[in-house]
Amino acid sequence: MSEQFVVAPLLVALVTAIATLLTRRFGRVQVTLSLLGGVGYLGAVAWLVSKVDPLGATEVFSYQLSGWQAPFGITLVADSLSAFMLAFSAVIALAALVFSAAYVDSFGQRVSYHPLYHFMMVGVTGSFLTGDIFNLFVWFEVMLMSSYVLVVFYSGPEHTRAALQYVVLNLVGSAVMLLAIGGLYSTTGTLNMADLSRRVADPAAYGDFAIAPVLGLSALLFAVFALKAGLAPFQFWVPAAYRAAPAPVSAMLAGVVKKVGVYAIIRVYFTVFSAAALGDLSFPGLSVPDGGSALLAFYGPILFAMAGASIIVGGVGAVGRDDIDGLLAYSSIGQVGFIILPLAIAATATDESVRVLGVAAALVYALNHGFAKGLLFMASGAVYDAVGTEQFPDLGGLSETAPWLSGGFFVGALALIGIPPLSGFFGKMLVFDVAGRVESTLALAIALFGAILTIAYFSRAWNRGFWGEPSLLVEHSETKFTLVAVVVALALSIAVLGVGFDVVMRAAEAGAQAALDRQAYVEAVLGSGGGHA
Amino acid sequence: MTQFVLAAVLGTLFALGTFLVLRRDVVRVVWGVTIISQSANVYLVTMGGLSGGVPVLGHGGHGGGHAVTDPLVQALVLTAIVIGFGTTAFALVLTYRVYQEHGTIDLLELGEKA
Repeated sequence: MSEQFVVAPLLVALVTAIATLLTRRFGRVQVTLSLLGGVGYLGAVAWLVSKVDPLGATEVFSYQLSGWQAPFGITLVADSLSAFMLAFSAVIALAALVFSAAYVDSFGQRVSYHPLYHFMMVGVTGSFLTGDIFNLFVWFEVMLMSSYVLVVFYSGPEHTRAALQYVVLNLVGSAVMLLAIGGLYSTTGTLNMADLSRRVADPAAYGDFAIAPVLGLSALLFAVFALKAGLAPFQFWVPAAYRAAPAPVSAMLAGVVKKVGVYAIIRVYFTVFSAAALGDLSFPGLSVPDGGSALLAFYGPILFAMAGASIIVGGVGAVGRDDIDGLLAYSSIGQVGFIILPLAIAATATDESVRVLGVAAALVYALNHGFAKGLLFMASGAVYDAVGTEQFPDLGGLSETAPWLSGGFFVGALALIGIPPLSGFFGKMLVFDVAGRVESTLALAIALFGAILTIAYFSRAWNRGFWGEPSLLVEHSETKFTLVAVVVALALSIAVLGVGFDVVMRAAEAGAQAALDRQAYVEAVLGSGGGHA
Repeated sequence: MTQFVLAAVLGTLFALGTFLVLRRDVVRVVWGVTIISQSANVYLVTMGGLSGGVPVLGHGGHGGGHAVTDPLVQALVLTAIVIGFGTTAFALVLTYRVYQEHGTIDLLELGEKA
C-alpha cells in the first residue's frame, strides 16, 4: 500500500533545517522557526503513528519514491516498529530543542546549531523509515555528519580530541558498512530489504546463491550497527563524545541516535535475515540451539556476550566517575546492554511468544532509556548552566538550592534503576521476565548485577551532587526557568508513561510483531502479486 | 586476469590504509581513512561484476552492446564518493582545529593530555 504520509516527518525535518539555515541572520526568527519545526515534526510523526498503529489493526505502509516500484526504486516503509521508534524520538527531540534554545549561547545558535540539529533529525528519521540497505548507509551518514559538528560544537581542546576519535572511528565504520553492503549486493543481487529478505529465505528460487557469504557479510554489517549503538567491544568512543557535546546534544545522542543502531539491529536481523537457513554450516565452538540453524540464532550468543559485557563495562565504569556527564555516558553503555539482552534471548528463542516478548522488552527499555537518559543529560546541562561545573567534588546540596531540578534528576535516576510506577520499572521487569522464561540463569545474574550497579552509581551521584550541605559554588548558583521546566516536564512524562503503561506495552508489542512479521513487510513493500504502483 | 590484479590492488590499498590509520600523526590517520574509503568504493565497483562492455542497454556503441555491466553499483559509488568528499573535508578541517587547540598533531601527545 502506497501512502504519502510516510514521507511527511522526513520532509518537515528537511524543510525546517533549510529554513533555519536561510534565516540565520535573524536570531529570533530562526529559533522560532526551529521550535515550530520541532512541533511540526512531532505532528507529522503523530499523523504517521495514527495511520500505522492506531492500537488495533496495525498495517505496514510503503512509499515508493517517484513511483518507482520496489525493488528497483527507493522505498520508505512505515510499520509499527518504525512508528514506535519515531514517536519517542520526536518527543525527546522536541524537549531537547526547547532546552537548547535556552541553553546554547545565542552566537552558537545563530551560526550553526539549529540547521545541524534538524539535519541530524533528517538522518534519524530516514534511518527509521528506509526500506533500502544502501539508503540506510546514506541516512547514517547524514545523521553522523551533523553529529560530528555538534560534538565539536564548543571547539575547545577536549572537544576537538573527542570529535577526532568519534569521526575517525565512524569513518572507518562507514567504509566497513560499504564493504558489507557491496558484498551483500553482489551475493544476493538486491539492496531492497524486503527483496533481500525474500531472497535469503529461499536462495534456490533466486539464482541459488551461497548463504555462507551472506552470513559473513551480515556479521560485518553487525559490527557497524554495534559501533553506532555503542555496544561493548565498540563502546570506547562513547564517554568522550558524550562529555564533549552540548548537553541537549548528548541527550539526543544517548536518547535517540544510539537507538538508531538498536533499531538497525532489530530491523536487519529480526526482519530481513531472520528466515535465512544456514543449512549444514557449523562453527567450531559455537553450538546453535535446536530448532534453528537459522541465521538469526547465530547472532544469539554474540548479542548475549556483547550485552553482558556492555552491562558490566558500563556499570563498573560509571561507579568510578567523578563528573555527572562521565557517569551518565558510562551508564548509557550499560543501559544499551539491557536493551540488547532481551534481543539476544529473542534471537535464540524457539517459542514465538518469547520472541515477541523479547523484542517488546527491548523496545520498552529503549523508550525508557531514551526518556530517562535524555532527562538526565539535560538535568546535568542545567546543573552546569547554574553552577558552572559538573565535577562531584565541587557540587553538593543542590536539592536545597534547586529542588525542582534535583527532583527531575531523582526521577530520571529512579526510572533507570527501575522503581514503580515509573516506566523504567516495566522495562526492567520485562527484561527479567524474558530471561526467566527461557530459564537463563546467566542472563538473570548479569541483569541483576547490572541493576545493582545502577543503584550504586546513582545513589553515589545523588549523595555527592544533590544531598548534604550546599558547596560554595552551589550556594551562589541560579537555575534558568526554561531548563528546569523541560527537565520537570520529562520527569512527568516518565511518570505518565509508567502509569499508562498499558498503551506503551501494546505499542511495543505491535512493534515487536511488526519486526518479526517478515511476510507482511515483504508484501507491503513488493506487493502481494507485484506490478501495482 | 583483471580480477586478480584488482583483488591484489584492493588488498594492498586496504593494508596501506590500515597502516596509515594506526600512525601517530593525525594527518596520516586522515589519509588512511580516505584511502580505506576509496578502496571501499573501488571494491563496490568490482561487486557489480566486470564482465560487460557497456553500462546501459541500448547505448550500443562500445563492446558490441550485448554484455551489460551493472549500472547500479556505479550509482552507489557516486553517492559514496560524494559522501566521502564531505567527510574527508571535515576531517581535514578538524585536524587543523586540533593543531590550533593543542599545538600538535601527534596523537601520543594528545592522549597524554587527556
